[in-house]
Amino acid sequence: MSKVKTHKIIGLRSTLLAIVFFIFIILLSNQFDAYNQSQLTNIATLLIAVFSITLLTGASGQISLGQGAIMAVGGYSSALLVTRLGFSMWISFILAIFISALFGLFLGLAAARLSGPYLAGTTLVMALAIPSIAVRFEGFFSGDVGLSVDYGNPPDWLTNLLGEISIEVWSLYVVLPFTAIALFAVLNLSNTRTGRTWRAVRDNEVAAALAGINIGRTKVIVFVCASGLAGLAGALYGFRGLVAPSVYPTDLSLTLLTAAVIGGLRSIGGAIFGTFAIVFLPDLIEKITKNFAIPENIGTYLPALTIGLLLLITVILNPRGAAGALEHLRHRKRH
Amino acid sequence: MNLRKPLILTVVASALVGSLVISSVSASAASDPGVSASEIVLGMQLPQTGAASPGYNKVDDAARAYFDYVNSKGGVNGRSIKLVVKDDTYKAGLTISTASKLINEDKIFAFFGSIGTQTHVSIIKDINRRKIPDIFVNSGYSGFYTDPKKYPTTFGGLGTYTVEAKILGKYLKEKYADKKIGILYQSDDFGRNALAGFTAAGLKFEAKKTAASFVAGTQGSLGLATQLGQLKANGVEIVIIAAVSSATAVAYATAGALAYKPTKWAVISVGADATTFQTILGAKGVPAATSAAMLAGTISASHAPAPGDAADEYVTAFKKINDDFNKGPDKRWDNNVMQGMNIAYLATEALMGVGKDLTRAKLIAYLENNGSKLSSAAFAPLGYSKSTHEAFTGFWLGEYDATTLLAPIDGKRVVYTTDSGSGAVTVSSYKRPAIAADALPKVA
Repeated sequence: MSKVKTHKIIGLRSTLLAIVFFIFIILLSNQFDAYNQSQLTNIATLLIAVFSITLLTGASGQISLGQGAIMAVGGYSSALLVTRLGFSMWISFILAIFISALFGLFLGLAAARLSGPYLAGTTLVMALAIPSIAVRFEGFFSGDVGLSVDYGNPPDWLTNLLGEISIEVWSLYVVLPFTAIALFAVLNLSNTRTGRTWRAVRDNEVAAALAGINIGRTKVIVFVCASGLAGLAGALYGFRGLVAPSVYPTDLSLTLLTAAVIGGLRSIGGAIFGTFAIVFLPDLIEKITKNFAIPENIGTYLPALTIGLLLLITVILNPRGAAGALEHLRHRKRH
Repeated sequence: MNLRKPLILTVVASALVGSLVISSVSASAASDPGVSASEIVLGMQLPQTGAASPGYNKVDDAARAYFDYVNSKGGVNGRSIKLVVKDDTYKAGLTISTASKLINEDKIFAFFGSIGTQTHVSIIKDINRRKIPDIFVNSGYSGFYTDPKKYPTTFGGLGTYTVEAKILGKYLKEKYADKKIGILYQSDDFGRNALAGFTAAGLKFEAKKTAASFVAGTQGSLGLATQLGQLKANGVEIVIIAAVSSATAVAYATAGALAYKPTKWAVISVGADATTFQTILGAKGVPAATSAAMLAGTISASHAPAPGDAADEYVTAFKKINDDFNKGPDKRWDNNVMQGMNIAYLATEALMGVGKDLTRAKLIAYLENNGSKLSSAAFAPLGYSKSTHEAFTGFWLGEYDATTLLAPIDGKRVVYTTDSGSGAVTVSSYKRPAIAADALPKVA
């Protein structure tokens, strides 16, 4: 099969899967009540950020504990463009991708020289430092108070077409197209030569270099792509109501990493599963525990404890996450 | 990466996880959500866990205890009051999600007593555009209340930080005219609002010298040594604290470690709860007697009686209800419990006042038209009107004694009143109505 034809098939499959995902979420939202519709919006938003970890850590082997901070870069970029310069929300989302990617370029240039715990430490420091910048330059970033932004109301043409649209459904309509496009992009990147190059660097840098791959440049490119995605997620996340340091705390980065690990760091399907799990698990635990007389000082910590436990079990017993386990089951069935 | 069939499978699997928590969509009722013939559902957001939680995590249990008491007496117009609480850990990202849950899943009638300025900023626009009452908010940030056109459904549950700071600031300026006064504040709307009030009272601070700030919520992880060191180096003799209780405790401990002994501490009321202060220091190994001695002499303000004021009729009545009905993990009687009880008392009074035909719009209209006539344990009336939704308009000043009781300065309680603008500080003539024998509000 020619190279062009292979690319066309991959493109077609990616498009098809993104469309299936889009329709599936829309159909799912129709079955959900308003709260779970808002949770779907959360999933659609955070999924883009988890994809950035799938690319960065899963595909290229670079550990980042600071994706939440890059989300903050995207969030502040779009909120400042809207509130200070009067840009449209949609344009601000697109520009947030480029601004975050540019940030990722600088970060990537430094990161290309680091690996393992050194890179993890550097990105963690970034996660801690970026919210402080917003406070340090309070006049520009509005400090702790942050910038109040939202998705607004659905346009008239849409309400004329579909009837009354709730705030929750409108939020999902704003976010979901971006998630579908992100899914398309990640699928394409992963399955083409680019993805193979990244995986080659991840698996053996020396062998990859001997095969003619520029290691440093590859790492920087991955950082740029992952940062663009995280920035977009941050912009969408902020427009739920507020862009402020407390919206992008350090534990947001860890939550994203947890989702990626539980689902399977190297799998896009795993990213989807992991994101569903971290968003819906606390609700599920609350529903189960509601029927038991659990003391308040234990009940409030249960969701975090359960997710932490799930993460530990995954890392110890099933490091490839849910996607890896699924793959393993399929192999056992075949043989 | 093999991404085709597994992707579809995992999407389906993810949907299954989601499906497990789908709530059945209830048929829409004709009346507002959260109110039925037998029940009124209120929702509260607060930090039950996390750095900012100590002390404040008792407010919900106290309010629930009062509502349970009201329910035991037949409820409000035959309806029992249910309080649903969500922990937002003082992080705005989570506040947005939990607000959605309260609105859409718990179907609350109104937000009640939510705690936290910077967290409430993230949802206030959304609550107001949905026309959901947002009553007795536990934040003294004046920006929420002084423009009802901007936030028509939001009503305060604390006197504004500006009002309190103006009153406290005027006293400090006059009493300690010969001393160098500095401030430690958290750099959010709470801290800045208080700073504006102290400035309006005529106190002058110099950034990086006599004014030190910190990011709210970082007091536990990063400490306050830099800030206290700065105030010490600049010879500040009177230290004002405009921060949450946990930060006050850290500040006192840090000052001790730095051998910094200001002549006087003055703490904004929400950061001056004695029990929280002692609990936090107790966890660091400071004996209760030592922490009580550290707090002694601290100046603070209050709109309500001191929790330790055993002679006060509201204190006696609320304390009894707390003993009998509070099922929370920590029901020790303090400022936070008192505040939870008091806003629950006010909410009950307002719901009674609206009457049997309860709707969101009627509750808001009732508070605007009659809110200033509602009575409570406070020594100052609510300031509610069509032009402002500010809560208690006055404070009295006190000094903590060796038993951690906030006693009126010079032995006589004088309540001062002012506004969140440029109005003068004057002595209030308000006479607090007595509490009924059954501790239930009486509405004409």
